[in-house]
Amino acid sequence: MVGLFANGFGLKARSEKPTSLERAAIGETYTINAIKTTDDEMKHFLFTLGCFEGEHVTLVSVLSDLYVISVKDARYSIDRELASAIGID
Amino acid sequence: MKIALAGNPNSGKTTLFNALTGSQEKVGNWAGVTIEKKIGTLKSKFNPTKEDIAIVDLPGAYSMSPFTSEESITRAFVIEEHPDVIINIVDATNLNRSLFFTTQLLDLGIPVVVALNKTDLLTRDQTVLDVKSLKERMKCAFVKTVATKTQENGLDLLIKEAVAISGQKQETPFQVPSEALRAAQYDAKIAETQDRARYDFVKEVVRSVEKRQVENRRETIQDKVDRVVAHKWLGIPIFGVVMWLVFSVSQTYLGPFLADTFVGWIDAFYSMVENAMGDSVSPLLSSLLLDGVIGGVGAVVGFLPLIMVLFFMLALLEDCGYMARVAVVMDRFLKRVGLSGKSIIPMVIGTGCAIPGIMATRTIKNERQRRTTAMLTPFMPCGAKLPVIALFSGAFFSDAAWVGTTMYFMGIALIVFGAMIVVRITGEKNKRTYFIMELPEYRFPSIKRAALSMLDRAKAFIIKAGTIILLCNALVQIMQTFNWQFQVVEEGMESTSILASIASPFAVLLIPLGFGAWQLAAAAITGFIAKENVVGTLAVVYGITNFIDPDALELVGGGGSVAEIMGLTSAAALAYLVFNLFTPPCFAAIGAMNAEMENKKWLFGGIAFQLGTGYVTAFIVYQVGTLLTTGSVGTGFIPGIIVVGLMIAAVITLMRRGDRMTVPKPEAHLA
Amino acid sequence: MANLIVFGILVLLFGSAIVYIVKAKRKGVKCIGCPHSGKSQCSCDDQVVNFKL
Repeated sequence: MVGLFANGFGLKARSEKPTSLERAAIGETYTINAIKTTDDEMKHFLFTLGCFEGEHVTLVSVLSDLYVISVKDARYSIDRELASAIGID
Repeated sequence: MKIALAGNPNSGKTTLFNALTGSQEKVGNWAGVTIEKKIGTLKSKFNPTKEDIAIVDLPGAYSMSPFTSEESITRAFVIEEHPDVIINIVDATNLNRSLFFTTQLLDLGIPVVVALNKTDLLTRDQTVLDVKSLKERMKCAFVKTVATKTQENGLDLLIKEAVAISGQKQETPFQVPSEALRAAQYDAKIAETQDRARYDFVKEVVRSVEKRQVENRRETIQDKVDRVVAHKWLGIPIFGVVMWLVFSVSQTYLGPFLADTFVGWIDAFYSMVENAMGDSVSPLLSSLLLDGVIGGVGAVVGFLPLIMVLFFMLALLEDCGYMARVAVVMDRFLKRVGLSGKSIIPMVIGTGCAIPGIMATRTIKNERQRRTTAMLTPFMPCGAKLPVIALFSGAFFSDAAWVGTTMYFMGIALIVFGAMIVVRITGEKNKRTYFIMELPEYRFPSIKRAALSMLDRAKAFIIKAGTIILLCNALVQIMQTFNWQFQVVEEGMESTSILASIASPFAVLLIPLGFGAWQLAAAAITGFIAKENVVGTLAVVYGITNFIDPDALELVGGGGSVAEIMGLTSAAALAYLVFNLFTPPCFAAIGAMNAEMENKKWLFGGIAFQLGTGYVTAFIVYQVGTLLTTGSVGTGFIPGIIVVGLMIAAVITLMRRGDRMTVPKPEAHLA
Repeated sequence: MANLIVFGILVLLFGSAIVYIVKAKRKGVKCIGCPHSGKSQCSCDDQVVNFKL
């Protein structure tokens, strides 16, 4: 439920320090500190993209519900579900 | 000899496969799974040997770790196919990511050649790559390629290298002891530790061989364009304007101009045949040939120029990368109403033809989402519906481009609305899915590719007109010529014909929708065989040889003859168009729905839902339209509102029942 | 005579249309005269939505 409300108030929360990529600032580079999901398959999928603890990730752009990220010199357009699972510092 | 192609999605694998094999691919299915495999024969100009070389395209994957199901599939594919050589296509602009998969491929022991693809982008970004030391560190062959170029693309060198190393033993640069590998198969933790070490190894290799000037995390011009074109809200009106432009050009300007000439030829052909037959042929046979075959097929084929212009423009939009952005904008709505993020793919394909669209739903894992998508995909106006749209916007709305544009948006709206209803009925709330989208880069659209795509679709259109449409029109002509005693129907007694007596009961049901004539009902029925039949049948039953007037430079319209003959008001005409577009598409599509849904309850539910949607939307369009234009409701309002009310009540009951079935589940997803 | 010729033409037209349909159906074409109806065009990975159709 928490996630649902956070979506609705995403704009207001942007000024605070983001805890996941979902509310990260465009153009900023962050370090991934956790993959926040109980879905092992999703965690593994992110791992194969190079998204795991300690890696750097940049939010390049947000298009509609897609988050364009750059990780390990590669670009991906991930959806909101994946973005919200990537915990950042 | 057999060469397998393996690589990450978006590495240019498909382009390379097509460049190596030409287009003569065979599509088969991998045993047990529904992912298709492509096999082709290497073009002889690349082949340095005398024997045939088979190229097998493996499914794109980001890695081959043994832990998740789909990735072990890739591993199993490689083992099952036992190729002599593996060509690993790697996007040279992100080695850090792609070489991970390469190290896993090298572990298999099959000789590997790495195609360093997209090397032209390296030059553009001034990235310097030390290929020699890359070879040494990775212990395998590397060949620079640019698969998108037709000349000097490095492909012949790639194949030479592949042939040279076949039969050799492949060394591996990142040795994992076999007992550790085996342990990793049963323990995710161990597997992850190994994979991290693998990533670290790759990082170290890349650091020593690559000198980068530009970081790819910067925002490019493409990103800036995307921020506007694929914007949450702005994206929708932009798409509206683009579609409106497409319809204006194809239907108001260029299309009718071409159609005019073309229809002139069809008319000339009609008169030529008519004159050649003279009075010596029995009127039965001559009217079958003239009105049934030439008139009916000609009416449909007359729209070919219009449709070709439309196809061409849509192909240009797809080729330049715009359609993918539309998908990004629309996808948000689909996900919000409980469909999968992948549901957008079948719908995009469905604008060409619903059948491949429905077949594409099989990549959706969740059963409910797959079935719902298969059920709603046919609401996208497919190629066969375009002549119907063209006819009605031409004959009743003087070629207004808003008609076609509105039909696309209405299709999308009905899909979103339908998905909302189905989610409530099935009582299964959103299963969370996740995905990544590979957005193609914008590029200048190729006229040649668009022209080829247009010709391909035009050919299909002509084939359909010459086979199914021709037979249906002949049948319609025969059925309206004879009555049940197989006597020729006399003039003034048309309603006694076989066709009229079959169609009349249905026509009664259509009175509240504004088009209760048996002719219109008959055309709607033949439309279930193929939607173009609506146009053909109308031509035959109303004895109209063509819908496009060759004398004036426009479609017959603006209160012109076609509208008069059919006796429809604009509101009724729009309702008839909506009814034909949003009822079940055609029997072939229903067959495809059956195959993908694998459940009779869903199939019949889906057909009933589509019929209901067509009826209700047509009713609303006619009654509201009539109210707005004349100030009072149309004929048959009371019986119509009862039928529509019953349908809505049934849907609401089902939705209520679905709600009760749902047990509110705590969201397990976010910890 | 003219009747026979017209009849012949009609039979030829209908015959060839039927033969074409039957042949296409035997080959497993799902929708005759639809673009790309024989095969599904997308060889997408499980989690990847790819627009190079």
